[in-house]
Amino acid sequence: MKLKKERHIWLDKMLTLSTLAVMSFFYYGSHFLVMAILCVLTAFAAELVSVRMMHEKPDPDDLSSTADGLLIALMMPASMNYIIVFLAALFGIVIAKYVFGGRRNMIFSPAAAAYLFVLTSWSREMLTYPAPHDHISLMGRTDALVNSASHVFNMTGRMDYTDFELLMGNFSGPCGAVSILLLLVAAVILIFRKDISAGAFFGTLLGTGLFAFVTPMIHSRTDSVKYSLVTNMVLFAAVYIVSDLRICPRRWYFAFFYGLFIGIFSYVLVLTTAKENAVVIMSVLFTPVALGLRMLEKKIEHADDDIEENEVTAEEVSA
Amino acid sequence: MFLIRDLITLLLANLVFSQALGTSTLFVAASGRKNLIRTACVITLFTTIASAFTYFVDTLMPPFAREYATLICYTIIIGILYALFLLALSTFGKAKFQAYKKYIHLSAFNCAVMGTLFTISEKTADNISLRDTIHYFLKGLEAGVGFVVAAVFLAMAYKKLNSEKVPASFRGFPAMLIYLGIISMAVYALK
Amino acid sequence: MNERKNSVFDGILGDNLVLASLMVISPVIICGDTIKNALSLIYAFNSITFISLLIGSFVPKKLPYTVKIIIYAVISSLIFIPVRWFAVEFYPDSIERIGIYYPLLAVNSLIVLQSEAKFFRMPRGRMIVSLVFYIIGFDAVMLFTGIVREFFAYGTVFSKVADINTTVSGLGKPFGGFIFLGLMCGVYRKIRSAIAERKNEAKESH
Repeated sequence: MKLKKERHIWLDKMLTLSTLAVMSFFYYGSHFLVMAILCVLTAFAAELVSVRMMHEKPDPDDLSSTADGLLIALMMPASMNYIIVFLAALFGIVIAKYVFGGRRNMIFSPAAAAYLFVLTSWSREMLTYPAPHDHISLMGRTDALVNSASHVFNMTGRMDYTDFELLMGNFSGPCGAVSILLLLVAAVILIFRKDISAGAFFGTLLGTGLFAFVTPMIHSRTDSVKYSLVTNMVLFAAVYIVSDLRICPRRWYFAFFYGLFIGIFSYVLVLTTAKENAVVIMSVLFTPVALGLRMLEKKIEHADDDIEENEVTAEEVSA
Repeated sequence: MFLIRDLITLLLANLVFSQALGTSTLFVAASGRKNLIRTACVITLFTTIASAFTYFVDTLMPPFAREYATLICYTIIIGILYALFLLALSTFGKAKFQAYKKYIHLSAFNCAVMGTLFTISEKTADNISLRDTIHYFLKGLEAGVGFVVAAVFLAMAYKKLNSEKVPASFRGFPAMLIYLGIISMAVYALK
Repeated sequence: MNERKNSVFDGILGDNLVLASLMVISPVIICGDTIKNALSLIYAFNSITFISLLIGSFVPKKLPYTVKIIIYAVISSLIFIPVRWFAVEFYPDSIERIGIYYPLLAVNSLIVLQSEAKFFRMPRGRMIVSLVFYIIGFDAVMLFTGIVREFFAYGTVFSKVADINTTVSGLGKPFGGFIFLGLMCGVYRKIRSAIAERKNEAKESH
């Protein structure tokens, strides 16, 4: 049952990620496609080698590393160097996942850790993007790299794109994190299929939205909420990183508060330091919180079991 | 809002994540979750009180001797505190003394405490207006709290990092180092 | 003879100071990012640790534990003075970069904690041999870390530009140090267990 569930989650995630990848291919061309394939293959190969090194047999039902690989590619600019993409996927799967024991003992989201690895080592390459429809050849690089719409919004409070363009992802930013309409559809599908934590997802959005309304970044409160949710990878991270069932707390109310605080902290960080894509950084920094909440959940479960056992024995004694 | 900003600033100034100070002690204390938190609390006590005393060393020390003689002065301060803390603990009875003395032994002379004193001294040397006992005391407390935060971060993952699911060669210390490394990477990304 | 052989190898492989006991790791993590820094730290660590432990071995054993620890720390802090003076002469560039980690070497766990628990329980001659190999173990790790991190993080070898296309600048940062050291520890354990396994197999076949 559990295996079936894992396979379904992988399939649903891959389907939604693939639509984002197709959209990115449409906007940026073949360079992105090679990036995505490279990421997926590297992640898959890294998983195979890691599993072998752990003296275990590869599980054909577990292909989650390929979803992680595609996720890594979608978080990067379409102009990213292939070597960096390769190293990112390797880091995400080997160091952030298999060093800690792989899928049975997940601590960090491999994609989030890989993103931070690239951000801290190649920040210029990571935070400059080609404009949409600026197709990059397979091996060539584009000279016309620009700042992301998130960066411009964080620094100036200006948003030069129409709502339609925002929905369609026709603005500069990480390949997969800009297609807002597709992300919304993906969120609905994944929530209804119970592939992601609804609590963490809504918590993140509510935390960001609430603070964007109370302490707006720009004059209009509604615009502040709207742009805060669509920029800085908030929606993307809310769907694929914060709500990852392997990481976030299991009970919906714990997951909700976990997401809520990630949303609030990342919004405050964006507001006070204009830090781009702060939600991904916060999701990694909140890992100990997720682990702590999971421990608490286990304790509650044990306590519940003990109470049930006591009740049963009390009934038996009275009978 | 300001509280959140201050929390983020505190994390940025964390000596474990940004300067790896006290990591050896953290690992030595990592034999259990309780050990970790208790050691971190005793270290906070050391950094806070020792920082207040180092103010006098920094102000009285002639500039030409600073690079060479500061260490011996700090060592003497910590040495005196070390003995005083043990004396104070012995007044609580033999059983408590036996149970808690290891935390004092572990927390006295290490990179966390000494590094904090040097870091505060270095920072105030750049800005003389910050030189007062209260500032030293608060900075010592801040560093200690940072150490407690790092200990809590490690304690939360303690079980997973020592789990049998972790490959044998990475179980325990290596996994802890990599875990701290990834958290430190996130802290670095905040800058 | 056999015991001596064991103690010799203990410091380098069996019980490496950095990789097995995780002692003195802060300087390795923060300052072990170039060969120059590594050499400067090696010089300071070797001289402070060796001389301090040698002098410390003459401290009467009957003194209370706390007093002995304070005396060891004071001795190493005094040794630090001439060591730093020479460092300014020999490694003027590195001393700035290493900053507070230089004096911190004087209160390293090997001097303050391990001296009493391990070295001062041995006869002096054996202690010196064992100490030398512990120090060599630290030096080897420090140097290896410096070489690898400098090459991959800055694309240089001993400050000379090497032919490398993509550098991983994060490896030169503190978090890079943490992760690299963690990976090294893992690999070290793997090697150690492989050697132990082989030894066991050889014993069984005999």
